[in-house]
Amino acid sequence: MTTIDIELLSVSKQFGANRIVDDISLAIPKGKFVSILGPSGCGKTTTLNMIAGFEAPSSGQIRIRGRDQEGVPPEARKIGLVFQNYALFPHMTVAQNVGFGLKMQGRPREEIADGVSRALKSVHLEGFEDRYPKELSGGQQQRVAVARAIAPSPSVLLLDEPLSNLDLKLREAMRVELKEIQEDLGMTFIYVTHDQEEAMAMSDRIIVMQGGVVAQEGAPADIYGSPRTSFVADFIGKSNILPASAEPGADRNLKVSLGAGKAVLTAARGDDVAPDNVRFCCIRPEAVRLAEAAGALDEPANRLTGTVQKVVNLGAYIEAWMLVDGGITLKSMIRSTRLEKLSAGCRVDLAIAHSAVQLLEQ
Amino acid sequence: MNRLLTYLFRTALAAILAFITLPLVVVVAASFSPTSAVTFLPSEWTLQWYAALWDSRWLDPFLLSVELAVIVSLASGLLGVLGAYSVAYAKCPGHTAIMALLLSPMSVPQIVKGVAVVLFLSSIGLYDLLGTPGLVMAHIILTLPYVVRMAATAMFGFDKRLDRAARILGASVTQRIRYVLLPLIRSGLFSGMTFAFIISFNNIPLSVFLVRPGQTTLPITVINHLEYSLDPVLAAVNVASLLFILGAIILFEKIGGFSAQFHGGSK
Ligand SMILES: Nc1ncnc2c1ncn2[C@@H]1O[C@H](COP(=O)(O)OP(=O)(O)OP(=O)(O)O)[C@@H](O)[C@H]1O
Ligand SMILES: [Mg+2]
Repeated sequence: MTTIDIELLSVSKQFGANRIVDDISLAIPKGKFVSILGPSGCGKTTTLNMIAGFEAPSSGQIRIRGRDQEGVPPEARKIGLVFQNYALFPHMTVAQNVGFGLKMQGRPREEIADGVSRALKSVHLEGFEDRYPKELSGGQQQRVAVARAIAPSPSVLLLDEPLSNLDLKLREAMRVELKEIQEDLGMTFIYVTHDQEEAMAMSDRIIVMQGGVVAQEGAPADIYGSPRTSFVADFIGKSNILPASAEPGADRNLKVSLGAGKAVLTAARGDDVAPDNVRFCCIRPEAVRLAEAAGALDEPANRLTGTVQKVVNLGAYIEAWMLVDGGITLKSMIRSTRLEKLSAGCRVDLAIAHSAVQLLEQ
Repeated sequence: MNRLLTYLFRTALAAILAFITLPLVVVVAASFSPTSAVTFLPSEWTLQWYAALWDSRWLDPFLLSVELAVIVSLASGLLGVLGAYSVAYAKCPGHTAIMALLLSPMSVPQIVKGVAVVLFLSSIGLYDLLGTPGLVMAHIILTLPYVVRMAATAMFGFDKRLDRAARILGASVTQRIRYVLLPLIRSGLFSGMTFAFIISFNNIPLSVFLVRPGQTTLPITVINHLEYSLDPVLAAVNVASLLFILGAIILFEKIGGFSAQFHGGSK
């Protein structure tokens, strides 16, 4: 059975007349890596600040380890927080920064030294104890910030876009490391980011936020594979999103009309959307395949012919825009071994599996 | 062209430094002169005027001035931190008005302040407070704005995310002030306290209303002496106070490190 570490019950936050967080309910299971993902300004930091206790919710309840946190100040919540700009104490050495939490708890000297070296070890920063923050690179400061937050062994660690100040290479390396640290310590991580790749790479669960509400919540693969709204489909990964309408078709499938009825595709019937409510259709670029590709026709698929409009070589993959029957443009992602076959103007046969045509209500 | 500018700049700098220090050189030279007339470059050198300083006539005022400057700089430092904290950091209600009030003594002439303190003390019947207690009070009023100003500037520059970071790590408000805020504003605070120390130690216009016979500060004693004679003992007094203040600045600097390259900047 999973225990719930942090729970938000209908939490809202209002600044003046603006409702920044609107009736959010969440249950974050213990020991999981949970990401809060959303575009800039959607209320991620505000949500984190309410969990940390820096902001009080306008309404609703926040529970940490089962206890209502109303009136509990941040210093008594026993959670860790990693800031976007790290917020290291500039007048303290690395060791003093990392030991700060334990020192505030009044732990004996040896215990602090112990905790400091353990925390520095888990972020691979041994030997830097006596440096000052300004003598460290951005990536090293980042590690110190993580070490400082985990040293007092909080059960929950909140991270607010901790990697956004690092360059791409370091960011990718740190993703792996953060995930390892989280698994080693068995700590609950709540990770705020607007980078969907980051969230996909690390999380056990993703909470997609949009305009102060939760747009979708689930495992990364579920959110990627079956986005519930066009916003989620667009935000997570790349996709073709087209206005569509649907009606029941043969074999319990749905007939989907795109582009004002000029193109018709067949979609496998999902349980969650009634045909009358369908407004959009989402097709991932990797699901738009060349018909000749191995396995493309293994499952029931729509067959289309199209003209290649533009090809962009991304190394392992090529991205191609195809103009298909009915005047619709679809973006497609194809293994670049087929590059010689594709150039602007050539005709191609395409296959899109019925199950890859996803129907959305909004 | 650039070289010409550099040259001009250096000359100007040298001229300014000379303008500031030459009068001091005259005073220093005069303090070693055996004749009672103040002369530049005396033909003989003597330490007799310095020996004359070792007398309760000069030592008592000196000790009073030191006592005053120490009490005033400590008290202004403490009050200044509290004031700056509530005004610049915690932004208590009406903080701009309170800040203006805290800084207002700066815009009142010292003579006026001196008269005001005397009138105030006598009108509430505390005439006995003239002398050391009155001096302490008046000097605190005089120096507090400088300390508040410096401490407030340091606090405005303080990154409040550091306070949040300390908070989430479990630090109570007193722990946050002690371990995070104070160390980071220390240099600003100590430069304010150094100002307070020097201003108090050198003050004449305010002290002149508040001293009593037997409780006279060093600058006032110098002024009194000047009324009767202009002899090299005054030069010796000035050189000695100059050295004392230099020593005090070095001491404050050692403790506060206000000009030291600071181990800082999280960015
Ligand atoms: N103290 C405040 N007073 C008024 N408005 C605020 C306050 N804090 C945040 N906001 C507003 O709330 C909205 C959400 O802010 P928040 O910082 O939570 O966004 P975010 O999702 O973290 O964005 P980002 O990815 O850019 O960090 C913004 O429009 C912001 O202007
Ligand atoms: Mg934010």
